[in-house]
Amino acid sequence: MHHLSLYLHFVKLRIRSQMEYRFSFLFDLLSQASISVIDFFMIALLFNRFKELAGWSLWEVGFLYGIIGVCFAVAEMIGRGFDVFQNSVVRGDFDTILIRPLGTFFQVFSQDFLLRRVGRFSQAFVILLIANSQLTISWSFVKVGYLLVSLVSGTCFFVALFVIGATSCFWTIQSIEIVNIFTNGGVFMGSYPFSIYRRWFRHFFTFIIPLACVNYFPALFLMEKVVPSGVSTLGVYLAPFAGFLFFGITMLFWRWGVLHYQSTGH
Amino acid sequence: MRPLSLTFNVYFAFVRKSFQRRMQYRVANLAGLTTNFFFLLVHIFVYTAFYAASTEPQPLSLNEIVTYFVLCQVSFMLMPFWGARSEVTQAIKDGSVALQLTKPVDFHAYWFSDECGRACYFLLMRGCPTFLISILFFEVTIPQQFTVFMAFAVSMVLAIFMSAAITITIFSSAFWTLDTSGVSGMSGSVIMLFSGMLVPIALWPEWLAHIAEWLPFAGLIDVPFSIYLGKITGVAIWMAIGKQLMWYLIFIGLGRFFLHRGFSRLVIQGG
Repeated sequence: MHHLSLYLHFVKLRIRSQMEYRFSFLFDLLSQASISVIDFFMIALLFNRFKELAGWSLWEVGFLYGIIGVCFAVAEMIGRGFDVFQNSVVRGDFDTILIRPLGTFFQVFSQDFLLRRVGRFSQAFVILLIANSQLTISWSFVKVGYLLVSLVSGTCFFVALFVIGATSCFWTIQSIEIVNIFTNGGVFMGSYPFSIYRRWFRHFFTFIIPLACVNYFPALFLMEKVVPSGVSTLGVYLAPFAGFLFFGITMLFWRWGVLHYQSTGH
Repeated sequence: MRPLSLTFNVYFAFVRKSFQRRMQYRVANLAGLTTNFFFLLVHIFVYTAFYAASTEPQPLSLNEIVTYFVLCQVSFMLMPFWGARSEVTQAIKDGSVALQLTKPVDFHAYWFSDECGRACYFLLMRGCPTFLISILFFEVTIPQQFTVFMAFAVSMVLAIFMSAAITITIFSSAFWTLDTSGVSGMSGSVIMLFSGMLVPIALWPEWLAHIAEWLPFAGLIDVPFSIYLGKITGVAIWMAIGKQLMWYLIFIGLGRFFLHRGFSRLVIQGG
């Protein structure tokens, strides 16, 4: 409980400092929203011309897009501390964190909170709502619960990617840009049904980087689409938990990484 | 007045410095290359699936689409999107711009040289490898006529110049807002859309393609690539290049105007 109240206090401070550049903040909020509106607009353009994609309609794809968009926006909002962690290592600020009487993971996690991602979040959420109204999904108690678990799991998935990027700084000092492929690239490829990708590509993004588990499989279940051959139904039910597992593993990776920290010094 | 050759030497030195500064980040460049390929691959997967489901004839064949997106990735880092943020705005924010202002050079020309150095670097270190590796893995069409290739080269150079001029125009907003991420993000998304980088303009519905025609941004991506693919031919090539040139000059004018206004209200940050 102590951690939670501390976290909320930190969040309040971050928000206050971001409000200092008020004009830029508003503009950024708008730009976030407009970027993602254009994003989806492009998908709609393609559907306008081609009508369908591997048996998926525009709003079915919109549903996928909404889920991944919401998860990423929330992850960017709360996981920002890990996203910009390389600055702490480059400047040697991590030394300060090490001598404070709190866990390193918690401290880095609470170091930043990017309120402006609300723009992106709302856009993805609106797409999700519209998609839902256009599709006839028979909602039940189980399905709502399953959706919520999937959203949290997807958020964990993206935060975990930020943690991997941050942890790598203990060795490389500068963040490895490769992680961007999985974050920004993950949102991009997660906006389309996985069945359009090649086998090796699908397998990589299911078993190694469990992107498919946090939006494609949940969407299959929620929309009651035919499960592709070679995928077990049980696997679809359990898929969202892969996000939590992935997060857990990266937390262990973080702990191991901290042991390898060598200060860049002051 | 300095002799013209000396002036040229000065700004060419800025181009070279900008190029050399970026040469330091070789690992980052490798990571960037990987990212380029990842996005290229996903684009190709998506379009292949769309084309597989469609029986109607399309204005661009799948091969041409693949070529188009290869070219997009080749020139991605040359374009004024958020990926290409300038060090100069950082200088405005932290106050070190004061030092640059003491130099006896034209600030706009200095900034333009800096952007050109960036473009040369990314063309050579990012664009060329992307193109060469793509030829190995995908079916990339290559123009058969030398004249088409020449026209493409001219149009591409103009696209790069336009990009630099637009970047300066956008980022000079730093004088008013200090933090440019909002302004650059917003204009970046509009530019990205109307440049044709996300979906080739040939595939757009007519009304939207018509809007794009009246905007300058197709000159960054869609115009040079359409020339490359042989979709713009004959006199239309000259028209397209002329339009690029016109927009380039307009953005140079705008950028100079904003910088001029910006300096008159500049407060040096920090100490």
